Amino acid sequence: MQIKAENLNYVYSPKTPFEKTALDNVSFTVNEGDTLGIVGATGSGKSTLTRHLNALIRIQSGKIFLGDVDLSAKRVDLKEVRKKVGMLFQFPEYQLFADTVKKDVEFGPKNFGFGDKEAACAAEDALRSVGLDIKEIGDKSPFELSGGQMRRVAIAGVIASKPEVLVLDEPTAGLDPVGKREILSLVSELKKSFVKTVIIVSHNMDEIAEYCNRVIVLDNGKLIADTTPDELFNRSDVVDNTELDYPHTVKIKRMLSEFGFEIDSPALNVEALVSGILGRLKS
Amino acid sequence: MKDITLGQYYPSDSFTHKMDARVKLVLVVAFIVAVFLAKNFLSYIAVAACVICATLVSRIPISKMLKSIKAIIMILIFTGILNLMFYNGETVYWSWWRFNVSLEGIIFSVKMVLRLVLLVMGTTLLTFTTTPTGITDGMESLMSPLKYIKVPVHDIAVIMSIALRFIPILSEEVDKIMMAQKARGASFDTGGLVSRAKALLPILIPLFVSAFRRADELALALDARCYNATPNRTRYQVMKFGWRDLAGVIGTAVFIVLVVALNNNFWGAYQSVEAAWWLFAV
Repeated sequence: MQIKAENLNYVYSPKTPFEKTALDNVSFTVNEGDTLGIVGATGSGKSTLTRHLNALIRIQSGKIFLGDVDLSAKRVDLKEVRKKVGMLFQFPEYQLFADTVKKDVEFGPKNFGFGDKEAACAAEDALRSVGLDIKEIGDKSPFELSGGQMRRVAIAGVIASKPEVLVLDEPTAGLDPVGKREILSLVSELKKSFVKTVIIVSHNMDEIAEYCNRVIVLDNGKLIADTTPDELFNRSDVVDNTELDYPHTVKIKRMLSEFGFEIDSPALNVEALVSGILGRLKS
Repeated sequence: MKDITLGQYYPSDSFTHKMDARVKLVLVVAFIVAVFLAKNFLSYIAVAACVICATLVSRIPISKMLKSIKAIIMILIFTGILNLMFYNGETVYWSWWRFNVSLEGIIFSVKMVLRLVLLVMGTTLLTFTTTPTGITDGMESLMSPLKYIKVPVHDIAVIMSIALRFIPILSEEVDKIMMAQKARGASFDTGGLVSRAKALLPILIPLFVSAFRRADELALALDARCYNATPNRTRYQVMKFGWRDLAGVIGTAVFIVLVVALNNNFWGAYQSVEAAWWLFAV
């Protein structure tokens, strides 16, 4: 399913002193199979943009197509759209509410019309894929769990309804390094099964460089780049002109080149950087 | 952070915005007294003139003011109709069972509605032109004599300002939680009363959890900075009684005197003008 946004504009509290333009004529396309990164400084419109994608925010002007569903149409089947586009919010553990973990994870599937058995199966699968055992914690209260476990339960609650598109808003914020890695490798795992397209909003350029095949950059609501991580970090000056930063591996590559040690790998992850250095040493 | 107009600060740097919060509080109280003093339509006109003048000097758009009335429209209709139906007047136009619509009833209910509208407009002007911090600081300062009878004035003020401070935060939190649950397919505007009430649980529980978490964190943060209500805390913004405040006091006083005068027909001059006499008499 292709996602296509055309000339999106969004203004908060129009015609008041609090008026703020969040999106300014934003257009882009996400193809099936893409892992798209959305980057930009705080307040650049990233969250507003992602919330448009499953109709949590009504379109003010412009158009969004999810496959052939037009989100700007008067009547949109919201359940259908939200089942297709799963969304994981920042600090998703704050959305837990049910008295048991199992019920919380089943909440999404049941809302989307899964039967009791189907929902139970979906919950078990989802919990298993985030590394939790339904037999062990299924009947516990989500509020008894540790912070890391709570986040995993919350993620299970989103992926249990088997979305085709997964939108992640800063999925790794507030996690320790191991936790971050686990979440991202989980996302890569999911992309091999039912999730076809992933959209990640992040401030962490290392993650964007390593996991995304495309990036868009927002600055004050304007889309200022729609490109690949390689292009963005190795061959453009967009990063220097915004509040963004380079991934650590690219920084190392740049430092080395200042000493006259040029590497021709894009160095978007540690392996690529190391093999680039080794290749250069051999030649 | 939407639709909480009743008592939302409207940033501007008008005359009224720059006034001392304490003075504004006192003037609002005086204004409320004036509204209840008004007896006839002439004195209501004086009160309305007072509100209009105050609105003009605070440069609040009329649409904003009307919105605050919209919030109480149901109360207005309810009061209007009740008073209209149950007032025991003499000149009865229409009656059925226990309901009587009389000339006196019409006049009375118009007065009641007018009174409510003026009250709300006058008091929302205070919250439009004064930040919540300003209001609590002003309250604290006005209540400070109570310290001598061991009322913890400062603590009360801190509790008030924290409560006010958290309204927008919690409302933002509600927004976020609602979005997260909607993304999981929850819907809050379909189904009967029971299913709607049930649908609120996935919002209320996380909201309470987060309110408690925030309260804990705030308490820790206050402790970490050794916060306590020592007797003589100094302020970042010192409140001063300036020329604007004097002008405000004089202006309001003029209107109150006018209201009292119009109530009593002091000069006995209305009789000569028929319309004025009618407004006075009813």
